[in-house]
Amino acid sequence: MNPADSQPPPPSAVPPPSRREFLRRTLEAGVALAATGSLGAWLWNRHPPGDFNRAASAALLPDFSVRDGGRSMSIITGQNRPAMLRRGLEAMGGIERFVRRGDRVMLKVNAAFATPAILGATSNPELVAELAHLCLAAGAAAVLVTDNPINDPESCFNLCGLAPAVRAAGAELIVPRASDFVSGTLPGGQLIRNWPVLTGPFHGVTKLIGIAPVKHHNRAGASMTMKNWYGLLGGRRNQFHQDINGIIVELAMMVRPTFVVLDGTTSMMTNGPTGGSLADLKATNTLVVSTDPVAADALGATLLDRTWRDLPYLGRAAECALGTADFESLRPERAAV
Amino acid sequence: MPAIPNKRTPSAVETAVSLGVLAVLATVLAWMFQAQRRFNPAVTVAAAAAESAAKAAGAPVASPPELFASWPVGLGAMSVAESFTPATLSDKIDGKAELYLSAGFVAMRCQRVALVANPAAWMEAFVFDMGTPASAFSVHSSQKRPGATEVELGDYAYRAGNVLCVVHGRYYVEIVAADDRVPTMEAATGLARVFVATTAVEQHADVSRDQALFPPEGQLAGSVTLLSTDVFGCEQLTDVFVARYREGDGEVTLFVACRASPAEAGRQAAALRSFFVKDCGGRELSPPAAPAGAAIIDSGGTFDGVFASGPILAGVHQAPSGEAAERWLVRLQAKLPPAQP
Repeated sequence: MNPADSQPPPPSAVPPPSRREFLRRTLEAGVALAATGSLGAWLWNRHPPGDFNRAASAALLPDFSVRDGGRSMSIITGQNRPAMLRRGLEAMGGIERFVRRGDRVMLKVNAAFATPAILGATSNPELVAELAHLCLAAGAAAVLVTDNPINDPESCFNLCGLAPAVRAAGAELIVPRASDFVSGTLPGGQLIRNWPVLTGPFHGVTKLIGIAPVKHHNRAGASMTMKNWYGLLGGRRNQFHQDINGIIVELAMMVRPTFVVLDGTTSMMTNGPTGGSLADLKATNTLVVSTDPVAADALGATLLDRTWRDLPYLGRAAECALGTADFESLRPERAAV
Repeated sequence: MPAIPNKRTPSAVETAVSLGVLAVLATVLAWMFQAQRRFNPAVTVAAAAAESAAKAAGAPVASPPELFASWPVGLGAMSVAESFTPATLSDKIDGKAELYLSAGFVAMRCQRVALVANPAAWMEAFVFDMGTPASAFSVHSSQKRPGATEVELGDYAYRAGNVLCVVHGRYYVEIVAADDRVPTMEAATGLARVFVATTAVEQHADVSRDQALFPPEGQLAGSVTLLSTDVFGCEQLTDVFVARYREGDGEVTLFVACRASPAEAGRQAAALRSFFVKDCGGRELSPPAAPAGAAIIDSGGTFDGVFASGPILAGVHQAPSGEAAERWLVRLQAKLPPAQP
C-alpha cells in the first residue's frame, strides 16, 4: 500500500465527484446550454429593420458627380435669376463641362408645397426652366424634373408654377408613383435602412442637378441644397425630423450630384420651411452654383444671418468628408449681373 | 471512506467577486431607470401624436365637404377640404409641424378658394385646432411677422402682406393668399370674418394679465409671445411669455411665467439657473443686489438673469452685459405684484 493513499485529503480540497454525480452535472450543464441556445435562436431576428442587404443597396443612387478638377463654386449677385445662373455656370466652365450630348439629366427641385412661387417656399420656376433650357442646348437627350411632395403632388407642382414652366421649357415633369420607390439601405447609414427611396425616375439618368431656395427651417435651422434631397424619401418620413441633422447628413452621403444651384435671390428668413407671407422673405440677391453642396449651404447660412456652425449638419457633413464648410477655401469666382 | 458534504461555504474572494458583480448589475439597472425617465421630448411628442391619431381613428369624424359653413360672396372652392391629424400634419407643412405639435395641436383642416371673377387670385385657408385658446395664441404669436398690421377681426388678428392670421378660441386661422392685391386680401378678410361669425367657441384667448407683467417702456410692438416648450433650449421650461425690448443697438428678451405656487416658481428658477450654467457652459456672477435671490449668468458674451417673485418665474435673456441684465431684472421686478411673505 502506498503511504500517500492512507493520508486523508486536505480539509479545503473538494473530493472528486462520483460517477453518478459527474453524469448528473454533465446532463444539467447540457440542458442549460441547449435551453440558452434555443432561447437565443428563438429571439434572433434574421431580418432586423436595419439589416443590410445587397439587393436593396444596389437600388440607391449612383454617383453623378463630375471629377475633372475644375472650379467648384461660383457666387453671383443680382436679381435676374436666369442671368445669374448663366453667369454662374460660365464661371464654372460652362454647362458643357457638366452636361454632354446624350445625357439624361434629372433636376431635383423643391416642390414640397402648394404655394405660389412668390412666397419662395419652392424652387423658382423661371430658374428651373432656364436650367432645363441650358441642359437641352448642351445636347442633353432629355431633362427630367421631379420631387416627392407627400401631400397632393399634382397641386404642388401646378400651384408653385413649376409644372407649366417645366413643360414650356421642353423638360419632362415626373410626379412620383408608388412604384417609383424602392426600399434601400445606405451603406453605413443609421437612418436610411430598408427605407423607400425615389429611384424609379432615375433609371437611365446620367446627371443630377439639385435646385433649392434658401429657407429658414423650424427644425433644421435652414433648408438648402442638402435638405432638398429629403424629397427623395418616401414613406412616413416625418419621423426623421426627430434626428433632422442625421438624416440630412445621410442624404448627402446618399446623393452625389453633378452640381447644385442654391437660389438666395430672396431668402425665407423666418417661419420656414412653409413661410406663407411675403414678410418672411428678404432680398439677399445671391445665387450659388457649386459641385460641393456643403460649401453651397455654408454660404447660404450667411444669407440667413448665420454661420455654418449654427447648422450642425454642415459640420457633421464636413467631418464625413462630404464637402467643406469653409467655402472660401474653394476660391469661388464672384461676379455680379 | 467518510462521507464528505458536497456543499461548502464560499471563500472571502468568491463572496467579494459575487458582490462586485451584483453591484455592477445594480448600477446598470439604476442607469437604465434614469435613462428611461429622461425621454427625449421628441419621443414624447411622437407618442402623443400617435395616441391622438389612434383616438381620432377610433372616433367618427364629422367632416363637412367644405371648410366653412358658407362662403362670402365672390369666393368659390378651388379644392376639396383636407384634414390632418398630429400623425399627418407634416405631410402638409413639413418641418413646421413641430411648432404646432409641441404646442398641443389637435387637428388641422384646410381648403383652397379663389375669387370667382379671377381664379388666379386664390388663397388657402388653414384652421388649426390647438385644443386651448392659450395654445392657439402660442402658435399665433410665435409666427407673428414684424411690421404686421392689426386687423379688427377676432382676437389678435393681423395682416402681413399676403397673409391674414387670427386667433378664435381654440383655433388659429391662417389665410395665405397668392398675392397681396386689395381684392384678394379683402376676400381673405371676408373669409376670416365668416369663420369667426359661424364658429362658436367657449373661451377666447386673453393674455392681457400676462402681458401686463411686462414693463411697457421700450417694448417692441407685437413682440409678446407665448413659448410652449423647450424655452431657451431648456426642455423643462414650458409655457413662458417673452417680450423683446430695445437695448442700445440690439435687443434683450424679458420673460415671465405664472406658476402654481411660489415653491414651484422657485424650483423652476433654480432649474433654469442650473441649465444656463451646466448645460450652456455659463458662469454665474456675484449675486446682484436686487431682486432678492436673483442670479445672473455669463453665457459666453451674453447675460441671462433669473429670479422668482411669489408664484412668478421671471428674468432676462441675452442681455449685452451683466449690468444691463441687472438693470432689466430690477425694471421687471418693479412691474410684478409684490410677493406675499
